[in-house]
Amino acid sequence: MVLSLAGIIVFLVAEILPLFVPGRVVPDARIEARARTEARARIDAIGSMTAVVVDPRRTHVATLREDGTLRVLDWTNGSTVLERELLAGGAALVAPLAGSPGVAGIAADGRAVIAGIDWRVSYPDGIAEVTPAVASVMALEVETRGAAPRALSARLDPGGATLVVALDDGSLSLVQVAVDVNDFTGEREETVSATRISTPAPLDHLALAPEDAEVFASASDGRIFWWEVEDGTPVGMRQARSEAPVTALEPLIGGRALLAGRSDGVVDVWFALSRGRAGRELVHVRRFDGPGGAIGHLAGSPRGRSFLAAGAGGSLGLYHSTAHRELWTGHTGSAISALAWAPKANAAAIASARGLERLRVDAPHPEAGLASYFSRVWYEGHPEPEFIWQSTGGSDEFEPKLSLVPLVTGTLKGTIYAMLLAIPLGVLGALYTSQFMAPSLQRVVKPTVELMASLPSVVLGFLAGLWLAPRLEAVLPGMLLLLPSLPVAVLLAGAAWRALPARWTLRFQGGEILFQAVAISGVVWLCVRASPAIEAALFGGSFATWLHATTGLEYDQRNAIVAGIAMGFAVIPIIFAISEDAVSNVPRSLSAASLALGATPWQTMVRVVLPAASPGIFAAVMIGFGRAIGETMIVLMATGNTPLLDWSPFNGFRTLSANIAVEIPEAPHGGTLYRTLFVSATLLFALTFAINGAAELVRERLRRRFSGA
Amino acid sequence: MSDARPIPEPDADLEKPVIDVDALSLWYGSAQALRSVSLRVPERRVTALIGPSGCGKSTLLRCINRLNDLVDGVRIEGDIRFRGESVFAPERDVNALRRRIGMVFQRSNPFPKSIYENVVYGSRIHGSLRRSDLDGVAERSLRRAGLWDEVKDRLHESALSLSGGQQQRLCIARAVAIEPEVVLLDEPCSALDPIATARIEELMQELKESYTLVVVTHNMQQAARASDYTAFLYLGELIEFGETGQVFVNPKERATEDYISGRFG
Ligand SMILES: Nc1ncnc2c1ncn2[C@@H]1O[C@H](COP(=O)(O)OP(=O)(O)O)[C@@H](O)[C@H]1O
Ligand SMILES: [Mg+2]
Repeated sequence: MVLSLAGIIVFLVAEILPLFVPGRVVPDARIEARARTEARARIDAIGSMTAVVVDPRRTHVATLREDGTLRVLDWTNGSTVLERELLAGGAALVAPLAGSPGVAGIAADGRAVIAGIDWRVSYPDGIAEVTPAVASVMALEVETRGAAPRALSARLDPGGATLVVALDDGSLSLVQVAVDVNDFTGEREETVSATRISTPAPLDHLALAPEDAEVFASASDGRIFWWEVEDGTPVGMRQARSEAPVTALEPLIGGRALLAGRSDGVVDVWFALSRGRAGRELVHVRRFDGPGGAIGHLAGSPRGRSFLAAGAGGSLGLYHSTAHRELWTGHTGSAISALAWAPKANAAAIASARGLERLRVDAPHPEAGLASYFSRVWYEGHPEPEFIWQSTGGSDEFEPKLSLVPLVTGTLKGTIYAMLLAIPLGVLGALYTSQFMAPSLQRVVKPTVELMASLPSVVLGFLAGLWLAPRLEAVLPGMLLLLPSLPVAVLLAGAAWRALPARWTLRFQGGEILFQAVAISGVVWLCVRASPAIEAALFGGSFATWLHATTGLEYDQRNAIVAGIAMGFAVIPIIFAISEDAVSNVPRSLSAASLALGATPWQTMVRVVLPAASPGIFAAVMIGFGRAIGETMIVLMATGNTPLLDWSPFNGFRTLSANIAVEIPEAPHGGTLYRTLFVSATLLFALTFAINGAAELVRERLRRRFSGA
Repeated sequence: MSDARPIPEPDADLEKPVIDVDALSLWYGSAQALRSVSLRVPERRVTALIGPSGCGKSTLLRCINRLNDLVDGVRIEGDIRFRGESVFAPERDVNALRRRIGMVFQRSNPFPKSIYENVVYGSRIHGSLRRSDLDGVAERSLRRAGLWDEVKDRLHESALSLSGGQQQRLCIARAVAIEPEVVLLDEPCSALDPIATARIEELMQELKESYTLVVVTHNMQQAARASDYTAFLYLGELIEFGETGQVFVNPKERATEDYISGRFG
């Protein structure tokens, strides 16, 4: 028993631990730069301006440098496998393309080029071989009117390309190329449209979002700008001010978040929030301390919200935005002049005076972490930090939301609604059965209830989800009416009983409870019958519509009430059986003593039997609680499994256990989601363990108190 | 002892009977436990019920306060009248009856509550006495049960921390706290040592000043010492009932003599 428990714990820990191992960035290949004079120069010295692109198989690296020539090099031996002059006479600015392999450059006179790179893979002899090729080259003209380019960003679009250039006269030019291929002749026709706007300040850095039509920019005074592109024109400028001058700018995948590296070494994360048409706003969301020194370069991962930040003197850091986690920081040796991820985000390349270096990036679970699981996290596109569980989405750009809080809440919500039903019914049923029921009836009731315990929860869930849920919806107003009318009915029935002639009431003790049962059933029946009339009269014919209109609460057919009833039924037999045992085990001599003092059976039960049985009843409740917390099938079938964070009885919830059942089939083995599900399993385990432990402690204390030992 | 008092003839109704058992027969299912028992319990006296085990002493006692109601399948013929009114009458308020007829059980059965709460239990159930009144009830009852000096400093400790003899006296205090008219004691000393037993016997003498006592006992000396009247039951029948001195010194029936002298039982 202890051994298997230890085994489970070891297994869980082994699955969970990798989530909390931060990450590593390790150099694994290098192409040295030599002086131009050296005979066996491998590559030319790398200046301060380079664009670097790595292929998905990490075999090659492409660079575009000041000389305007695109070179593709082989990591294994540093040999140049492709060389193509893109800008004769050299480039004034170069940049890797946003979102796809390729480079862009602009000459001082405004000639610009966008080149896509095609990493062709062939399998001679069954081994993958990458043959790089220049896929498309688009040459454009940017009207400079003598001003010098200060910042550049470019992107390939499905039917063309977009390029933005900031000039030192404070203007921003946006050039879009639409490529039309004639289906019959195969002729390519390029349509170029250019617009030019003036900006509040000369821009230092520009960043196009990889897909959406957003342009981000920063000026030397620390201002950050955001435009939307509409019909080829940047419109709707928004700005925000950074605390320190911005030295690097880079959007994260999806283009809803912007990284801004600062001269004081901080990396800020800004969100481009759209709260409706007019509510667009740049909002500061979080900050990272950076690897040291002014941030020179930033690179957002093509696979997630990780990013690399290069500081001064070759310092480098790996971070994750959503998880707000520093995964790794270190030094690469010499000042970094370019930074690029490999497309699979498993490697990166840096350029420095020493040459090109390939780094293996080893951070399999960057989005995990205690903050992701238990703190409010500000997710992209959301107006404020929230607890959300949404592990998978439609696209690569989806930001996984791994808060366990809605699941823990859902677990407690389901359990509490279940216990709300199960505790009164189970305990009162047990008390009535053992204290008032005729022994002959007891012999029927006890096995029947215990038989209920053997009802598979899948059957209960099925009944709740498919049979009960629609019926409950139909009589819900009646059920709500029941809440106030039930206590009133009980009180009235009690009064009525006392008003009856003593001749009748004294004849059988405990008859009051039977009388109560009749009264309660009567009220339930009345409420159910009156329900349609109430719904028509008070709620305009539909309670769900009314609820939504007046309180904003959604009415979910499979909601917490339905699940609570079904789970309650699963738990009642447990609570009943254990409570019944506890009550029956109270020595008869105690109740006899109480009765002999003239106490009524009811007084005897409340004042003597109940306290004496309380440790056992408490244990029953706790064991029932433990059962409800781990219950899976009923929740799965009787609720919508929506991982919402609220306590409304009218909508569903998702529990930790149901979440595991729902998501584990789709979680890749060993992945972050997979391991996160193990975290939730551990949490469930800990929760049950804590409840049982606390229960045992309380029970021990109660027992000592009520047995005087 | 009651030697000084003139010896009354119980059947002659010289003393006022509080409880009048009239031809009472009782069956547990099909087994008859009492066979047409008739006796009158005089007021403010100690009446002892003696007889071998299983002769129906406890059964008779439990009929008087209708505690046998708790037993399934009991059938009763005949009647018991308490101050002239049948205890079995359908309109009888059993709880009120039990309030007037207290009981002390063979094995002490204090509630798992504090000493104080045990004593005031009945008062709490029956009335809305104020806190100070309850304190008064507790002290008075514990004094009457001769327990006050032993427990006055630990009233709020668990009753289960008392010794066996103290627990039994606590049960007596609990029973007298609601001022019953009759106290039924079912072998109150059978689980106690001689010193505790002597203490309880002394107590019975004091209590009979205010209450009518009916005590079941196995102990002949106890019956002889502590009771004014003695009823001898045998196999569910009342063999002999009379003034204790008479029953012990000069029994009318052979069976009584045999039992008293220890020839069977
Ligand atoms: N609850 C009961 N159910 C069935 N038979 C009982 C019950 N209580 C007592 N008896 C039987 O009734 C007879 C009288 O018992 P009891 O009154 O306890 O005797 P005593 O107290 O004199 O020892 C015995 O034969 C006993 O077995
Ligand atoms: Mg007995």
